[in-house]
Amino acid sequence: MVTLTAIRTFNIPIQAPCITPENFADKTIAELKKLPLTEGNRNVTLGDLFKIEQSPTETPNIILNGDLSKVKRVGQAMKSGEIVINGNIGMHTGEKMAGGKIVVNGNAGGWTGSEMKKGAIEIHGDGGDYIASPYRGNDLGMKGGLITIDGNVGTDVGCHLKGGIIKIKGSAGRFLGYHMTDGVIYVEKDCDVRAGACMTGGKIVIGGALEILPSFTIDSVKPKVKVDDSTNIVGPFYVFLGDRSERGVGKIFANKVANPALKFYEKYL
Amino acid sequence: MSKTINNVVCPICGCLCDDLEVTIENNEIVKMKNGCAVCEAKMVHGYKSEERILKPMIRKDGKLVSVSIDEAVKKAAQILTDAKYPLLFGWSSTVGEAQRIGVELAEELGATLDNCCSVCHGPSVMATQEIGIPAATLGQIRHRADLIVYWACNPWASHPRHVERYTAFTDGRFEGSEWKNYLQKLKADSGRKKIEMASKRIARVEPPIKPQVCFTGPPPPMLEHKPGRKMIVVDVRKTMTAEVADYFLQIEPNRDYDVIEALRCLVTDQELDVDKVGGIPVDTLRDVADAMMNCEFGVIYFGLGMTQSLGRFRNIEIAIALARDLNRKTKFIISPMRGHFNVTGANTVFAWQTGYPFALDFSQGYPQFNPGENTAVDLLKRGDNDATLIISADPAAHFPSVIMQNMLKHPLITINPDMNAISRLGDVVFPTQWCGIEYSGTAYRMDAVPITLKKVVEAPPGILTDEELLIRILEEVRAIKIKRGEPVGQTEAKFTHPNTTKTPPVNTAQKKPKRATKKKVA
Repeated sequence: MVTLTAIRTFNIPIQAPCITPENFADKTIAELKKLPLTEGNRNVTLGDLFKIEQSPTETPNIILNGDLSKVKRVGQAMKSGEIVINGNIGMHTGEKMAGGKIVVNGNAGGWTGSEMKKGAIEIHGDGGDYIASPYRGNDLGMKGGLITIDGNVGTDVGCHLKGGIIKIKGSAGRFLGYHMTDGVIYVEKDCDVRAGACMTGGKIVIGGALEILPSFTIDSVKPKVKVDDSTNIVGPFYVFLGDRSERGVGKIFANKVANPALKFYEKYL
Repeated sequence: MSKTINNVVCPICGCLCDDLEVTIENNEIVKMKNGCAVCEAKMVHGYKSEERILKPMIRKDGKLVSVSIDEAVKKAAQILTDAKYPLLFGWSSTVGEAQRIGVELAEELGATLDNCCSVCHGPSVMATQEIGIPAATLGQIRHRADLIVYWACNPWASHPRHVERYTAFTDGRFEGSEWKNYLQKLKADSGRKKIEMASKRIARVEPPIKPQVCFTGPPPPMLEHKPGRKMIVVDVRKTMTAEVADYFLQIEPNRDYDVIEALRCLVTDQELDVDKVGGIPVDTLRDVADAMMNCEFGVIYFGLGMTQSLGRFRNIEIAIALARDLNRKTKFIISPMRGHFNVTGANTVFAWQTGYPFALDFSQGYPQFNPGENTAVDLLKRGDNDATLIISADPAAHFPSVIMQNMLKHPLITINPDMNAISRLGDVVFPTQWCGIEYSGTAYRMDAVPITLKKVVEAPPGILTDEELLIRILEEVRAIKIKRGEPVGQTEAKFTHPNTTKTPPVNTAQKKPKRATKKKVA
């Protein structure tokens, strides 16, 4: 196990794609200190920014301490192992991740778990915008794995989602699951406007209040809904089909008790 | 002695009108023909402002002190090379040649490079990257468009000659002007108002107070049966453009996405479960969708009401998707109403040089593009950068105060012709020439057609153009880097733009031969 502690507060963005369990495996402290990073436009080494300690324990592989909200791309393309971050972390954490686990005991920045294929990310704080969403002009959304967030999330979460599960215990911003084709998003509390816009498949489950786009149509009322193999959420839920402007058959489950404004849809059943 | 220059290009808005007639006396513009009021304000009065900066300045002990250009360039280069994460912002009101040097400077510094489109039509560019765009030049629209939709924009105020030159009030080859119809409508309206006023005076009845948001009722039958060009305006309030239009659709604020989504469903022959969308009854939307489907060549122009309201680039994405759906039934074009005269050029030049149109980060040595991460407002809000260079823009007048506070924590370099709000706050203040008035260069019209701006008067002595100034700073930055033993890039041979005011020499030898006339057969 390697523990990295920030030596000073960081004011300039740091790009640290080298912090992955694969990269740290079988390296001595002297070798780890030489790993390259960039602080703004300057080339620095891991030893310049972090105090590095090694201990014989196996898991987790890496522990990061301090306010790292300016540190980007931690755990990029990692395949195995575990990273624990005690503090806030910056953007692009765990992007293109293909296995392993990242635990954030703080808030995470935007694009966390972007283009993720497998593995798990746990955020015990708030999440930023564009969680599990691809980059601009791209439709390579999250394909598999699990992201759980204890707090709230920003806008455009789970865009172009192609598989995997996103569980949000707080509330979500607008354009949740934009253009999603498969996979599941579960929000325990409220959701801002335009959830599931342009979706063609998959499932969005909202426990709180939400607004339905005019391009969705009501399908049925269901007593409960399955999020994953171990979780069933008890409703009742209105089930909406859409987005019909994209000829989609995605499903939005809206809690009947929390959404009295959607009662008028019952006349179409 | 006065002289007149014809076909001068107006350096104000994205229309780049190229038919101005400018009269010059004693190296000053005294009169102008064909231009709009905004153009006249800048070209006849604005550029001669008393606030013109004539010497470079550096802030010493809290006060701006005039210095030589060499000293200011050295100071600026020192600030930029010392910074770990500088931001170069602005670019939309300067010429393409200067923007090209700007990209080179950003690459040399490892800086973040952003242009004004990140606070205006950046979302349109992002939406285009997501879904593509069916586009046409303004000439196509002038000659062929028979349905013009202005969505969330007010060209009557922001692009005053757009309607007159390119859309409803222009005589195209296949479509006529609606100017006479509008005048008749205006006369009828004023007559009706006079009668109403007179009858009120007789009856002595207090006029009822009209609610601020009012729905204008179902579309008039003329929308369907009216011959010639039709113009629809969609906005949250009744603007001047809306008064000119054949039909005005007043929607609730921030509901553009929902209304377009509903229109898409109607265009693809689907029923809606709701009665009203964004405050508009679905039956009315159906009539609008019919008008869109029944036209021969339609065009949607959208403005900042769509790009900077709730949803931002998703609004544009869905509007482009509507144009795509309509193209299955008829011919439909969609186009942004770009603001500054060369903001399209900033996107085009950046994209041509780096592959990306704005929000660039060169800190890794290669360009990284990510709006939301590298855009000026987001970057300054997080307080990431440690030096700023602003060129041909005034963020101090337009950016939120938190962002300006973060910007002013670090050194600030400004390049502007006159003493605007940002120049007053700068640590190094450079003067520059007015492009399009004092020097020539290339600008891109809102439909990405490049047009050469003309030089009409001489600049005050000693003031450099944006391009020359940036080259000086770039050379100084390279000199500092060489001293430090860091690798530097190389500039290509400098391209000098021909002075367009000079008339080209007439080559008599290459005159076209006269057409041979056929001899009549007896």
